[in-house]
Amino acid sequence: MTEPVVVRIKDLRKSFGTLEVLKGVDMDVQRGEVVVILGPSGSGKSTLLRCVNQLEAPTGGEVWFEDIQVNHPDTNVNRVREKIGMVFQSFNLFPHLTAKGNVMLAQRKVLKRSKDDAERIAIEQLERVGLGDRVDYYPSQLSGGQQQRVAIARALAMDPHVMLFDEVTSALDPELVRGVLDVMKELAKAGMTMLVVTHEMGFARDVGTRVVFMDEGVIVEEGTPTEVFDNPQNERTKDFLGHIK
Amino acid sequence: MNDRTSGRPARIVAVALATLLMTVALAPVALAMDRARVTVDRPTGGQPTRFTFQAAVEPDAAVTSIDFLFEKGFGTEDISVRAVLLEGLQRIDAPYETEVLESGAVRLVFDEPVPAESNLFIEIYNVMTPITGGEYVLPVEYQAVLDDGRTELRTLDGLTFSYDTPPIEEAISRWMDEQAWVEAWNSVKFLDLFLKPQQIVRAIPLLFTGWLMSLALVLVAFPISIVTGLLTSFMKMAKIPPVRWIAAAYINVIRGTPLFLQIFIAFIGLRAAGFRVPDFVTAVAVLVFNSSAYLAEIFRAGIQSISKGQFEAASSLGMTYAQAMRFVIIPQTVKRVLPTTTSEFILLYKDTALLAAIGLFELMMKSKNFVALSGNLSAYVVAAGYYLIITIPLINVVSRLEAKLAQSEHGVAVTTSRKRGFLRPAKKDEALAEAAASQGAR
Ligand SMILES: Nc1ncnc2c1ncn2[C@@H]1O[C@H](COP(=O)(O)OP(=O)(O)OP(=O)(O)O)[C@@H](O)[C@H]1O
Ligand SMILES: [Mg+2]
Repeated sequence: MTEPVVVRIKDLRKSFGTLEVLKGVDMDVQRGEVVVILGPSGSGKSTLLRCVNQLEAPTGGEVWFEDIQVNHPDTNVNRVREKIGMVFQSFNLFPHLTAKGNVMLAQRKVLKRSKDDAERIAIEQLERVGLGDRVDYYPSQLSGGQQQRVAIARALAMDPHVMLFDEVTSALDPELVRGVLDVMKELAKAGMTMLVVTHEMGFARDVGTRVVFMDEGVIVEEGTPTEVFDNPQNERTKDFLGHIK
Repeated sequence: MNDRTSGRPARIVAVALATLLMTVALAPVALAMDRARVTVDRPTGGQPTRFTFQAAVEPDAAVTSIDFLFEKGFGTEDISVRAVLLEGLQRIDAPYETEVLESGAVRLVFDEPVPAESNLFIEIYNVMTPITGGEYVLPVEYQAVLDDGRTELRTLDGLTFSYDTPPIEEAISRWMDEQAWVEAWNSVKFLDLFLKPQQIVRAIPLLFTGWLMSLALVLVAFPISIVTGLLTSFMKMAKIPPVRWIAAAYINVIRGTPLFLQIFIAFIGLRAAGFRVPDFVTAVAVLVFNSSAYLAEIFRAGIQSISKGQFEAASSLGMTYAQAMRFVIIPQTVKRVLPTTTSEFILLYKDTALLAAIGLFELMMKSKNFVALSGNLSAYVVAAGYYLIITIPLINVVSRLEAKLAQSEHGVAVTTSRKRGFLRPAKKDEALAEAAASQGAR
């Protein structure tokens, strides 16, 4: 592949006290890739994503975003974060703001966009995730699926170079999952670089360009969806996939 | 006696002098008797008043009787009279009889004529004055017996006195003194002691200024406390340990000691240290110092009750700590801490009463003084009313805010423990964090 690397992770280590959660993870994510991260609960998937935008500070190794070392003491983390979109399992919409307000806030305060620009872009992004008719709704007036799509629009409005998704459909009622996955699929088609932690195997198979299987803080196996799903090499991967099916 | 009046020419001297407590106009002419004057002993109308009449009998005549021709509106039914006669400094026995005429005039008839040049000193007690103040004339007529035995009716028509209209509460109170229902009410010991209408009416305007003082104290102190409380809460959450320790120590010391003690330390301490600070300023400072500690805990609990995810979402969008606080965390906190903060306002307002101890003229002090003067406890009830005017509506506001919050946030109201009062038992901070966590996972 000739695409430039957007995220590079080198020998990443993270401990919480004495608990070592990441034990040396290496990963390159090239532009346009959709990397799906699988693994059992507690294997460190969320921690890995959170290290990318420094919501967790790594205890060892390096994280690079394009040509910036994110975990370097001289790096202004906020400047990096505005280019790395993140969507959380629990949506984390700002409840005191409308859908539009949610999408506008960081555009105004971080990117210093004019009110008009921010509003126009907010509406564009909300339409893109299928919520053109909900721009003035408050989060409490939206379904979980709608809230999650607002959260995606909020991240997209910042023109991120990469998007991190951490089990974004896990908190949703089954009938609402589809809408969110569709938005993500569209995003992937449009060429967005994505790191996706999910238990949606269908999505991983259809949309993922690469599947990474993690267990106990290390990457156990990785490859194309076909390789990993149809012909897993590692026992733990087999075991995990067996359970899922 | 009569020998003293003989052979002296008649003389008319007109003098009217000031009353004891207020002005009396000069009466220019046509007065008989020397140095005559009348004074009243009450500064305001509408109450039983003592009239004092002083005059020197003229050199040419003795006086046998005097009529005080009170104008209409003056009540003379219940009067009593005391007359004293002086020759030089010598007091002379001068028997007399008093009569209240049909017209309301008061007549004194002396058994023996009052000799010339003696000094007459007459007090008329219990004259009910009209409530409207102003200058009044008291015409006086008297029978003079001349040397040749003729009698003559003389008048003293320039005697004036004046008094003011009493303040409205005084007027009402005096009016109440006359009312049968008030009397019946006051015949119940408890009501008389705590709810005496006359005292209540008097206390209301008197305590009003104290109420304003209490309000001023809390209205100045509380907004400042909000700012300092917020700063303290940030210090308490600071990353640098010493900053946290200072904030924690301050909060614990203030919350762990009575405000009463803090007031004494501040006032007596400042005085002892030789600082001349206006009492109001010291009072506000103590209230701010005290309230900030409580507000800091309320705000801290409020901020920490906002799910961590909110801060992470803001951070992940590139917002700085300050931006996340200002645009994401604080706006959500405001709603949550509003009921508790309002409660804190109520508590602080009530706590201004403690400042009575150092002599600040706020509501409590005023009522205490009034009670001490009147010997009646009704002023305390009035003070209670003044406190309740503010607290009852606010208590309702708090309940409504709490209900609203419980509805919109599934019960994540921020309450921190605070002393006495009507606050419901405080949740512990852990409970808050838990509530916040469940909130985030919703
Ligand atoms: N802030 C933290 N403090 C202490 N331990 C933590 C913290 N965050 C995560 N951990 C621990 O690190 C381990 C990995 O957590 P992580 O959330 O990365 O797992 P995960 O793979 O995302 O699991 P899941 O599928 O359940 O989300 C877990 O054992 C978790 O308890
Ligand atoms: Mg996770």
